[in-house]
Amino acid sequence: MVGNKTLLEVKGLKTYFPLDEGLVRAVDGADFEIQQGRTLGVVGESGCGKSVTAQSILRIVPPPGDILEGELLFHRYSKEGDAFSMADVIDLAKLDPRGREIRTIRGNEIAMVFQEPMTSLSPVHTMGNQITEAILLHQETSKAEAREKALDILHRVGMPKPSQTIDSYPFELSGGMRQRGMIAMALSCHPSLLIADEPTTALDVTTEAQILDLMRQLQEDLGMAIMFITHDLGVIAEMAETAVVMYLGKVVERADVDTLYYDARHPYTQALLRSIPRITEDRRKWLEAIRGMVPDPYNLPSGCPFHPRCRSAQGECREVEPPWVEVEPDHWARCILYADSTTATAQG
Amino acid sequence: MISFIARRLVIMIPLLALLSIVSFTIIQLPPGDYLTTYIQQLEAGGQVVDEAEITRLRAQYGLDQSVYVQYLKWMGGIFRGDFGRSFHWQAPVMDVIMDRLPVTLILSFSSLVVVYVVAVPIAILSAVYQYSVFDYFATLFGFIGLAAPDFLLALVISWLFYLLTGAMVTSLFSLPFRDAPWSLAKFVDMISNVWLPIIIIGMAGTAGLMRTLRATLLDELGRAYVTTARAKGLSESRLLLKYPVRIALNPIFSTIGWLLPALINGGVLVGIVLNLQIIGPALMQATLSQDMYLAGSIILILSVLTVVGTLISDILLAWLDPRIRYGEAN
Ligand SMILES: Nc1ncnc2c1ncn2[C@@H]1O[C@H](COP(=O)(O)OP(=O)(O)OP(=O)(O)O)[C@@H](O)[C@H]1O
Ligand SMILES: [Mg+2]
Repeated sequence: MVGNKTLLEVKGLKTYFPLDEGLVRAVDGADFEIQQGRTLGVVGESGCGKSVTAQSILRIVPPPGDILEGELLFHRYSKEGDAFSMADVIDLAKLDPRGREIRTIRGNEIAMVFQEPMTSLSPVHTMGNQITEAILLHQETSKAEAREKALDILHRVGMPKPSQTIDSYPFELSGGMRQRGMIAMALSCHPSLLIADEPTTALDVTTEAQILDLMRQLQEDLGMAIMFITHDLGVIAEMAETAVVMYLGKVVERADVDTLYYDARHPYTQALLRSIPRITEDRRKWLEAIRGMVPDPYNLPSGCPFHPRCRSAQGECREVEPPWVEVEPDHWARCILYADSTTATAQG
Repeated sequence: MISFIARRLVIMIPLLALLSIVSFTIIQLPPGDYLTTYIQQLEAGGQVVDEAEITRLRAQYGLDQSVYVQYLKWMGGIFRGDFGRSFHWQAPVMDVIMDRLPVTLILSFSSLVVVYVVAVPIAILSAVYQYSVFDYFATLFGFIGLAAPDFLLALVISWLFYLLTGAMVTSLFSLPFRDAPWSLAKFVDMISNVWLPIIIIGMAGTAGLMRTLRATLLDELGRAYVTTARAKGLSESRLLLKYPVRIALNPIFSTIGWLLPALINGGVLVGIVLNLQIIGPALMQATLSQDMYLAGSIILILSVLTVVGTLISDILLAWLDPRIRYGEAN
């Protein structure tokens, strides 16, 4: 059932926030693809635009933020027998964010799990109410049937005593249970894409491991693709097949996870990798922090935004916007070091 | 929940006894009593009051007895439904209050309804379309309503009304109905006059509620659970009403019990300016002239309503907000 079929193509996405203090280029050139039934990891430091990328896909970017440029091509397939055949392609970036069309996609074909399971659930509605809401919205079912489906999905996400928890309020549940509830809510309509925005950041390590296991299991059972956002490279290695690295709104490198770990090309990715602890290496070696600070979002450096912190920076990096280069088949990097490569594209 | 209510009701008994003592003490606090005030008035008018007459009156009103005896007699009467006599009106306190109660309740209830019906939708629109032209107008109106004293509004509006129509707003009833008993015609007449005081009395409340609700709602609109609901595919209007509006309205609906005393005692100054036969101005007059049983009874009724209103609010709060559970934990 898992085919190598493109589900979502993000091309040259730019999402800006025109604030009084200045223009925030929250996403300033993101290019990647998500394959049906596969997991794409999105990594980067805090504030690099991971969440805004996710919000852009669902068209829930909070005002005054808006998509300025780019395409979000969502491929829909119809199932004929065992094979999927392409039905249509829809550019999410062109939809009216308040319109009917995007609303039939949200929660139904693309669903999202948020970082903070406490604040992301309504405090005065039961879990059941919040889960069945999505089912009732997108499917022709009675309330009783919707409740059955909610119970079923709560069961699947390993919620303890579903028949009881379904009538609980979020404040009565632990963080891990709430996040299971959130996942149940997101999966209740069997979406083809699940966006998980740091779903385990607010949880302790044991619970995190359980939730990650659960998500892999659910992906196997239900076959949805996952866009897994995290700032933890270790989690990416565990969860994803391919990954993109973001820095200050730009996707700076994209490759399959193994390549990214062992053959990273972008100096930022290399620096990120040097900053994670590895047990196999010489224990006495100091961990290396990336030098310098993340620049102020209102005054981004000209040229390559990473140049003030980059080890390999050259004079040119200050002025020239680095090109998006395919350094090897299916391995892309946004760096001037590879500019002479013949496959360079004009994209900024 | 039931045990919570029962417990609260039991606590209310000593509380009310205490309140009655406090009410009585408050009206005894100013020096002198009704008679001294009365005699001063007579003397100011040039009349001579003879000592024997004063002693007779003092005995008649029971003012020669000790404070404790007066209190106990008053409380004893209340248990039999007798709140004592009003010196000023020369009538039982109950009659004085009952005379004013229907009009008072009609006025306060309709003002309250107007406040909610006007303020809630405006506040929602104002918050959703923050910084729009509509929002600026609503804000301007809100500040005027909050800042302008109601008696001034009463004066200005009735003056404008006079300029425009040539009619004076001096009472809730047109002349032929002033002293007539209640009838359908009298009721209709009142309806045609009542809107002006309703607007004036409701103005500050509307403005206040609008500002509070707008602020709470703006807070709620930015919450993560709103984004979650949006990501589910809910339409903006459904999402708005089900989540942020519901949550922002909780504290406002649940504190509705607190308004109970205001239903009886609202619009004192407006009542005086517009010469309305409602309870608020009567209480003020009674306190000024030390008409102790009338003042004391009204204050006592207000205290009871405050206590009951608070209980109602607590129950509503627990019912509307599942996060609040009384007495069950620890
Ligand atoms: N609602 C908003 N209004 C204004 N600016 C915003 C808004 N949301 C995000 N931004 C800005 O966009 C940039 C990217 O933010 P984003 O939330 O996508 O970061 P992130 O990569 O998800 O970080 P984190 O790991 O902390 O979640 C930041 O500079 C942030 O300040
Ligand atoms: Mg984020």
